[in-house]
Amino acid sequence: MRKTAPAGGVPRRAEQRRRPSTAQLAAALGTGALLLGGLSAGAATAARAAHASRGGTVTFAEPPNATPNAIFPIATAGNTAAYNSAIQAELYVPLTFYDATSGKLAFDQRASVAKTIVYSNGDKTVTVTLAKLKWSDGSPVTSRDVQFFFNLVKANKDKWANYVAGQFPDNVATFTIVNPSTFRLTLTTAVNPLWFSGNELSLVTPLPQQAWDLESANGKVGNYDVTTAGAKAVFNYLNGQDNHLATFGTNKLWKVTDGPFALGSWTTGGAVTLEKSSTYDGPDAAHISSVQLLPFTSADAEFNVLRSGGLDYGYVPTSDLSQSKYLESRGYTIKPWNGWAINYSPYNFNNPVLGPTLKQLYVRQALQMAINQPAISRAVWQDEAAPVYGPVPQSPPSPYLSATQKKNPYPFDPSKAKKLLESHGWKIGANGIMTCKSAGSGASQCGAGVKAGTVLALHMLSESGSTQTTNQMEVMQSELASIGVGFQASYAPLNTVLSETAQCKPSQASCSWQMSFFGTQGSWYFSPSPNGDPLFASTGSANFGSYDSPTADKLAVAATTSSNPAALRAWSAYLALQLPAMWLPLPAYQVSAIKDNLKGVSQDPLAGQTIQRWYLSNG
Amino acid sequence: MGRFVVQRAAQAAVVVVLVTIVTFLLLHALPGGPARGILGLKATRIQIEQFNKTNGFDEPLPRQYWSYLVRLLHGNLGTSYKLNQSVASLLVERVPKTLLLTAMSTAVALVLAVPLGVWQALHRHRVGDHVTSSLVLVGYATPAFFLALVLVIVFAEKWPLLPPEAPQGTSISALLAHFSGLVLPIVTGAVTTLAAFSRYVRSSVLDNLAEDYVRTARAKGVSERRIVWIHVLRNSLTSLVALLGYYLPVLFGGAVVVESIYNYPGVGLLFWNAAQQSDYPVLLGVVLVISVATVVGSLAADLAQAAIDPRVRGALR
Repeated sequence: MRKTAPAGGVPRRAEQRRRPSTAQLAAALGTGALLLGGLSAGAATAARAAHASRGGTVTFAEPPNATPNAIFPIATAGNTAAYNSAIQAELYVPLTFYDATSGKLAFDQRASVAKTIVYSNGDKTVTVTLAKLKWSDGSPVTSRDVQFFFNLVKANKDKWANYVAGQFPDNVATFTIVNPSTFRLTLTTAVNPLWFSGNELSLVTPLPQQAWDLESANGKVGNYDVTTAGAKAVFNYLNGQDNHLATFGTNKLWKVTDGPFALGSWTTGGAVTLEKSSTYDGPDAAHISSVQLLPFTSADAEFNVLRSGGLDYGYVPTSDLSQSKYLESRGYTIKPWNGWAINYSPYNFNNPVLGPTLKQLYVRQALQMAINQPAISRAVWQDEAAPVYGPVPQSPPSPYLSATQKKNPYPFDPSKAKKLLESHGWKIGANGIMTCKSAGSGASQCGAGVKAGTVLALHMLSESGSTQTTNQMEVMQSELASIGVGFQASYAPLNTVLSETAQCKPSQASCSWQMSFFGTQGSWYFSPSPNGDPLFASTGSANFGSYDSPTADKLAVAATTSSNPAALRAWSAYLALQLPAMWLPLPAYQVSAIKDNLKGVSQDPLAGQTIQRWYLSNG
Repeated sequence: MGRFVVQRAAQAAVVVVLVTIVTFLLLHALPGGPARGILGLKATRIQIEQFNKTNGFDEPLPRQYWSYLVRLLHGNLGTSYKLNQSVASLLVERVPKTLLLTAMSTAVALVLAVPLGVWQALHRHRVGDHVTSSLVLVGYATPAFFLALVLVIVFAEKWPLLPPEAPQGTSISALLAHFSGLVLPIVTGAVTTLAAFSRYVRSSVLDNLAEDYVRTARAKGVSERRIVWIHVLRNSLTSLVALLGYYLPVLFGGAVVVESIYNYPGVGLLFWNAAQQSDYPVLLGVVLVISVATVVGSLAADLAQAAIDPRVRGALR
C-alpha cells in the first residue's frame, strides 16, 4: 500500500493488483487460455483463519505524508497512487488481479471478477467469463459493468491516467457482450496473453452501471455511456464527485460496491475506515470487521506511534532499523516488503558535454564495474536492499529473468574497470580524474564523438531527504574515484529531480543533467509482465536519458507481442549487457512492522493488498 | 487612529499583491515545471502536455498571473494538484489547527516567560539568574525535533501518561476534546519560544529599571512591587507586543517540526509538502495567508502598542 513512493506516485498500471491467494490453479491455457496458473497460499491461509478469531479492527499506517484522495476507479492525473488503488480494489473488485507473494507471478482468481480468460484466433480474440458476484444493491456483476468501464475510458482516454497510446482501449477493436457473464474482446493485433491479461486487463474494474450511469446528481440512470458524448458526460459527473473528498463517506454513489469491504469513513485528512461488507457473497470475504488506514505527517510521527504500540501494521524508517529488536520485544514482526521493481540511474546520452562519452559501452561497463552493489546494500541499506543487474526484477524468480542478468555480467572489479578506460585512451590527470588523451574511434581510442581533453567527471542529480541515499552517493563517489572517475552529487526534492530529468536534445538548456537518481524506494515498479518499453525504447515515454538502440526496440516489441517468455529474457539479457543505465541496489519498498497476532498478511511485490485475508489470532 | 488604520490597510494590500507576484515568478522560474513530479515517472508526453494545458502552463507568464488574480478576486484559490481538494478547503481545515497550536504554545511560553524575565532582571547577575538563563538557553538551543522525540519516549513510552501523537480530529472542538494529545506538542512549541521571550523581557525590564521615572517613583515612596509590576512591566511589554506581531510568520513556520513529529497536519506542514511537491496552488494560497497574517499581525501590534502606551497613541493621532 505504501507504494506511492517511487517517483511521486506509481501509476496504477504498476499497482492495481493484489496479493497471493488460494490454492487455485489459475486455470487454463490451451488455445490461448492464459492465466499464469497461480497456486498460492490462499487456501492454507483460509484454513488457518478458520481457527482464528473473526472480526476485530486492524490499524494500518499509510505512507508518510501521503493521503488517499480518490475513490473513483478510473484514475485521473495525480490520483494514481498505490494507496488509492489498494483501497479501491477492496471496494470494487478488479477484472484481473495478479500477485507474486507465492513466489511466482500468479493470477489470483479469488480477488478478481474474471473467472476464466481464453485467448483464440491467434491471440487476437479474448473471451472472459465472469465469476458470480453481486453489487451491494443486489444487482449481479455482469458483462455490462465491464462494458461500462470500457466505454468510459474509451471516450475519456485523454483524462485516464493509465492511458498509453496504442494500448488499452486503443487495441480493442470491438467489445461484445456474449451473455451477462461472458464478454469478448476482438483485438486490433495479436498480443502476448501474459502481457494483455496482466498489464492491460488488470487496469479494468467493472463498475456498477445500474447505479453510476448518470449525467448529473438529479438525473436518472440510463445507458448514456453507449455514446461518446454520453460517456463523456457520465465521466465528468463521476469524476466531479471524486473531487469532493469530504463527501466520500456519505455519497450514495460510493455506497454501491462489490468488494469484500465497504467504505466506513473517509476524512479529508486521509484517515479511511473500511468495514467488512455485509453484502459480499464472493469467495474472498473479509475476516476482520474493519481496518483503519491512518495518515501520518512524517515517518517519525508514524514511528512514534509504532513504538508506543499504537499500530497493528506499520513501518520502520530505514534510519531506525537499529530499533528492530525493541519493536520485536513489543510484539512486532519486522519484515521487508520487496517490490517487483528495479533501481537504476539513467545516463543522459544527449548531454552536450558527456553524452558522447556515455554512449561508449566500455565507459558504461567501467562505471558499472566500479560500483560495489553488495557492499552498498550492506553498509548503506543495512541489508534491506538487493543488487540489480538488469532491466527485469531480480526477484521473485520469474521466467523473464535471463541467465545473463541473473549472474551479473559486470561484477565489482575496480582494477578491471580502470584498465578498461586506460585501454581506450583515457589517462588519469593531475587532478586524479581520467582525461581523454586519444580521441578517435579506433579500438584503443576514446570513441566516436569523444573529444580529446574530455574529463570523465560525472554530475548526479539525486533526490534529497534520505540519509541512505546521501550515503550511497558518497560511497559511489569514493568507488568511482578509485578508478579515476570524478563524481559529484547535488540534491533536490524528488519532484524537482523528476522534472529536471527530462528527455532533451543536446542544444537545449534543459539537457545539462548527466545522471539522476530517484530510487530511494525503487525507480521503477513493473506490472506482472515486466515489459519495459517506456523505459529504454527509443520512443519510450520514460526513456529519460534518450537511450537509442534499434535492437532494444525490436526486443521490446517482441516482448509485448510474443507469448513466449523467452522474448522478455532476450530483452533482459541484451540490456543487462548494454547498460542503458547504471544499475543500483533496490531498497525494500518498506520495512514493515506487523503485530504478532495479525495473520494472513502477505507483502505482495506487485504492491497490492488483500486486507480481506488478514485475521487476528487469539494465540 | 481611523486614518492610520486605513493607511496601513492600503499598504498591506500592496504588500500582499507584491508578495504574490514575487512568489508567482519564483515558482515559475523553477526548471521543469510540476507536471512530471505530479504525474509520476510513467506519465506519457501527451499526458504531460495535457496537464500543462489544463493548468495554463502553456500560456505566457503574465497571462497566467492575470488568470490567477482574477480567480483570486472571485475567491477561488485553485485546487491542489496532489491532494485533490480545493486550496480554500485545505486552508480552512489547516489554518485553525496551526493557530490553535501556536496560540496555546505561545500563551504558555508568555505565561512563563514574563514572570521569569522579570524575576531574572530583579536578580540579575546572581546565581539564580545564571542558572535560569542557562536552563532556558539549553531549551532554546535544543532542536524541536529532538525535544519532541525525548518527550515522546519519556511521556508516551517509558511512562505512558500522554499520547505520542496529537488528536486527529478535523475541528477545533474535536481537538480540544482530546486535549491530552495536545500537551506534548504545546510543551515542545513553548519550550523553544520560552527562552526568546524571557530573554527579551529580562533585558527590557533591565532597561526600564534604569529609567528616570523609576528613580522618581522610588523617591516618591512607591513600593518596589508596584514599580516593577505596574510601571516597569507595562513599559516593557510594549516592545514584547511588537515582537509578537512580527513573530506570527515565524510561529507558522516554526510549527512545521511540531506538526511533522506529532502527526498534526497544520498549515506549516502543508506549505512544506507543497514546496516539495511543486504544488503551486497550495504554495500560493499559503503564502497569501501568511502575508495577510503578517501585515495584520504588525497592524495589530501597532494598535496594541497604542493601547498600552499613550506616547504611541499620541503619535498616531
